[in-house]
Amino acid sequence: MNLALLIPEITLAVFAVLVILLDLGVRQKTVLRSVALAGLVIAGGVTAAMWGGSYPAQFSNMLAVDHFALFFKLLFAGIAFLVILASADYVDKFARFQGEYYALILLSTLGMMLMAATADLISLYIALELTSISLYVLVGFLKDRKSTEASLKYLLLGAIASAVLLYGMALIFGYTGQTQLGAIARAIQSMPPSAVMDSPALLMGIVMLIAGFGFKIAAVPFQMWVPDVYEGAPTPVTAYLSVGSKAAGFAIILRVFFSAFGMPDWLSANWGAIFAVLAVISMIVGNVAAIPQANIKRLLGYSSIAQAGYLMVGLATFGFAPASSVLGQSGILFFLASYALTNLGAFIAVIAISNKIGSDEIADFAGMFKRAPVLALALTFCLVSLIGMPPAAGFMAKFYIFSAAAQNGLLWLVVIAAINSVISAYYYLRVVKVMWSGEAASGEKVPSSGAPRLALFICCLGVLLLGVIPGLVMRLAEVAGRLFAF
Amino acid sequence: MGLAAAYWIMAVVAVLAALGVVFLRNVFRAALSLVLCFITVAGLYITLSADFLAAVQILVYVGAISVLIILAVMMTREVQQGSPANRLKIPAFIVAAVVLGIMIYTVTATSWQVASAAPLAPTTVPLAGKLFSESGFILPVEIAAMLILAAILGAIVIAREK
Amino acid sequence: MLANYGLIGLFFIIVALFSLSMPIIPIVLRYLKIVPSHPGPVKNSTFECGVETIGKTWVQFNFHYYFYALVFLAIDVLVVFLYPWAVQLRQLGLFSFFAVLVLVFIVVIGYVYAWKKKVLEWK
Repeated sequence: MNLALLIPEITLAVFAVLVILLDLGVRQKTVLRSVALAGLVIAGGVTAAMWGGSYPAQFSNMLAVDHFALFFKLLFAGIAFLVILASADYVDKFARFQGEYYALILLSTLGMMLMAATADLISLYIALELTSISLYVLVGFLKDRKSTEASLKYLLLGAIASAVLLYGMALIFGYTGQTQLGAIARAIQSMPPSAVMDSPALLMGIVMLIAGFGFKIAAVPFQMWVPDVYEGAPTPVTAYLSVGSKAAGFAIILRVFFSAFGMPDWLSANWGAIFAVLAVISMIVGNVAAIPQANIKRLLGYSSIAQAGYLMVGLATFGFAPASSVLGQSGILFFLASYALTNLGAFIAVIAISNKIGSDEIADFAGMFKRAPVLALALTFCLVSLIGMPPAAGFMAKFYIFSAAAQNGLLWLVVIAAINSVISAYYYLRVVKVMWSGEAASGEKVPSSGAPRLALFICCLGVLLLGVIPGLVMRLAEVAGRLFAF
Repeated sequence: MGLAAAYWIMAVVAVLAALGVVFLRNVFRAALSLVLCFITVAGLYITLSADFLAAVQILVYVGAISVLIILAVMMTREVQQGSPANRLKIPAFIVAAVVLGIMIYTVTATSWQVASAAPLAPTTVPLAGKLFSESGFILPVEIAAMLILAAILGAIVIAREK
Repeated sequence: MLANYGLIGLFFIIVALFSLSMPIIPIVLRYLKIVPSHPGPVKNSTFECGVETIGKTWVQFNFHYYFYALVFLAIDVLVVFLYPWAVQLRQLGLFSFFAVLVLVFIVVIGYVYAWKKKVLEWK
């Protein structure tokens, strides 16, 4: 067993512990931020250095160190890095808890990295719980009423989703006798198709897995927590939830459904159809419910439900044609990378503006282009990318996913998604209009320190680059899309 | 024969205790009913020959978690008023009954593969081998340690004053 | 082995029967009019070592108990992992020793954190 392959995770664990211990001794809290950032840089650097090699599975096939896992580890480290940079001004609101804040972000990133790399149902569940518990606490970090209520709602609904997920895993284990994903695939393939279709245990297990994972990615019948939790949580934590938790959810769905349930083609067509239906209702509910919203965080919450719908179009493609559609898988990975940069950019601008004006209502954003031209421009650009217009990254991402879907016979899904993109343009552009043509309440400038500005610059640069030259990341996504098959 | 009788008694008591948790007005009595449910579930583990798990259930669930739940109940101020009124009782009951029906159908209509070997008699030794040996589940154990750390951290953050 | 647990179950059944019979037998005997029954106001009042109760009986607990229960729970879960390892200590060898060392170390960090943040002090 080669522990050198686990250096990213071990680094994050060590640095999380280091942040906790330093918090007990050190007076000045900015040291903790530097320590956390250093840990993420080291973890990301080691992950990038591991790219290109091929490594065997670890821990008796429980941990897969393939390019899929490396891609997601890099993505999660980058997301956490940007979130910690962006919360530089915001952490003053947590008076004595800054060390715990950084430690919990590092621990949930560790959980997400383990989720992307795991190949066994049991370690998947424990890594999922590690991420979720850290996030439950992070959502309730500001001790006011809204934050506590948001944390309580997230905890209760998340616990129910975990229970359903675990029941589904128990049914699958009871049916196949294995918990390791490759062994489950072999057990299913060794049974005759009639035996599998006649016994509802496996199908019910898959449905419950979709329910449990669907909660994480905010797909529609499981999305009730999103508006309240996004509104009540501290805004950097909302940004982290909307991007990191969703990417982690899609990573585990791709891993579990490809490794364990991918091979009998009629089985993968079944769950592909489920994802297609969920995609349609997620897009419709997310976009329609976002139109009357007046709070920017709730609006971005409903928009993230709709974006999960677009991503599930890619999952449906993946289900209907897993062997030939590397484009479907790599389209999802590219969309996740571009969505991460876009949403983080939008949220960083919102953090800076809300910190100054003290409110999250869209009407209070009026006239921002005069008070904070750079932030308003960045927010506009990110919202344009969320709609999916060129030259932003969102256009290329939607193009890849929709073309893969159209190539695999899901043209009706693409048409519905295109109509939904047009509907979404309405509420995104409404925010842009309020910012650019409203009357400013006062003429003061919106201050922001160096760290959020750096993060915002990285995000906007990334969105622009991915929109104009998508080739590099697309090639990485294609390499990552070929999952470890064992 | 004794095993079947023990199983049925404990199963019925567990279900009744679980219903008691949901339907009892007084929150403290609901918590005590939950403790009864935990104890009978430990008994059910014994009928499945999982003796270590039954001991762990009583040690951790009845010993620590029930104490936490009862402490939380005793620390709320207006606990005498009982649970708040719930208008969605009938729809929730219908949905729960439908889910129960689906679950029963799933479990009874499947042809489960039954292992031919008898269950191992004291399970502690094979469990130790499975958990801590090199080809076992050592990775989830270490992740569970990080989970405990995150839980301590999080719970103290939530409960300390501002 | 299951027979041993069956004996424990038998013990529980006898305990339940005994505790139930203790209040039920006097009630049944009084109902059947075998024993005399003269209730009065002094006899029906609550017995509290001869003293009247002061204030409400349902007072709010001190919340410091919560932190002790919390740290106990975390270390209890750790102990659950240590039990099977301790049973098979010699056969499991050096690898598992280091794994358990890492496990204990991580949870002890949490305990040290709770200690240094003064949550275990009673105010």
